[in-house]
Amino acid sequence: MADKRLQCIVVTPERTVVDEAVDFVAVPLYDGELGVLPGRAPLIARMGCGELRTHGGGQTRRYYVDGGFVQVRGQAVTVLTPRASKAAEIDPHKVDENLATALAQAGNNSDAALAARSRATAQKRVAARASQ
Amino acid sequence: MAKLRELVNRRKAVRNIAKITRTMELIATARFKKALDRAIEADAFTRKIAELAADLSASATTITHPLMSSRAEVKSSVLLVIAGNRGLCGGYNGGIMRVAVHRLRELAEQPGLTTHLELSGKRAMQFFRYQGYTAEHTYTQFEDKPQFDGVDPIATRYIEGFIAGRYDRVEVAYQKFLSASRQTPVVETLLPLASHQVETRKPGQVEATPSQNVEYEYLPDAASILAEILPVAFKVRLFKCFLDAAVSEQIARRVAMKAATDNANDLIKSISQSYNRARQAQITKELAEIIGGAAAVE
Repeated sequence: MADKRLQCIVVTPERTVVDEAVDFVAVPLYDGELGVLPGRAPLIARMGCGELRTHGGGQTRRYYVDGGFVQVRGQAVTVLTPRASKAAEIDPHKVDENLATALAQAGNNSDAALAARSRATAQKRVAARASQ
Repeated sequence: MAKLRELVNRRKAVRNIAKITRTMELIATARFKKALDRAIEADAFTRKIAELAADLSASATTITHPLMSSRAEVKSSVLLVIAGNRGLCGGYNGGIMRVAVHRLRELAEQPGLTTHLELSGKRAMQFFRYQGYTAEHTYTQFEDKPQFDGVDPIATRYIEGFIAGRYDRVEVAYQKFLSASRQTPVVETLLPLASHQVETRKPGQVEATPSQNVEYEYLPDAASILAEILPVAFKVRLFKCFLDAAVSEQIARRVAMKAATDNANDLIKSISQSYNRARQAQITKELAEIIGGAAAVE
């Protein structure tokens, strides 16, 4: 059987961030992480904010994605997200700032405040793992 | 000679202006290419969203989403006008203002309808201030590279306002990019979403057909994912409007500056001809004086 790999495509409204062949993709869903190996059954899922991980060619690449949708079909894993960036490129100061502002709104439980908090914590987590 | 000096100075001034307009033409060409690339990337995103929506709606029964419900009574309408910050782009700003004012007058004729005017671009702000309209929100940060992060809060406000009932309709007046040689100012209704608006915008292309043979697993479930996709589709649609406007503005500026450069070059030619004629006339005159003087001495 031919060597099956996954084609991982991450698309944002501004550009295609990732389009490469990998062996394994981990996407952050709204309720936890989902791992995708080649040959997985087709899937459409809603994502949450967090770390997108790909293993390919002995390298692990980490990205931060800001929610969106993931579609697994055949050999393609397509991630549609409003914002995506390489974990190493996240500015740690900015992340700390965002986290501080979000946590300062601790009492506010409106949708926007909750979303901001989860986004800031997810970003901080991804940035921290990237620097390990 | 006075006339000669004048002509030389005039020619120098026109040459300098020709240099400036030529540079602006080149810059506009480069910016147009970049803006077009971004518009094409956004297209890829839109196509994927349409694919997902088609796949999802094949399994969900009927799509009813608050964003798609057209209100029987339209009491509050939003008109967002997207124009440029600077001029020197030919008929670009003027065309958009024309269709926007036309639409505003139409809306003003309907009784009981309040129109909320929102403007993007200093030219639009100047124009509507002059016309006596007050805008509720103004944006000047969208230049030739609109960012999705900049459009996101506006789109979110429209979505929340529409669902909450504050707005019954959202329309956008902008220059639609059809091709590199065709752009036209339009007023389009973005909310309520029509089902075809979730599809890709290229006409003539086959609608995204659901892949019949693929049995998807849905997390959490098809209906709720579909419900989540529609706001994203709207946001990208609004982002596309800004992208189209940016591309069209650069094209308009390039065309206008090219015409200006060509005019300047023609002017330089005609001034040069006048200058040469004047110079020769002066030489002839001096010669005639000398000969006349010499003849008088004899």
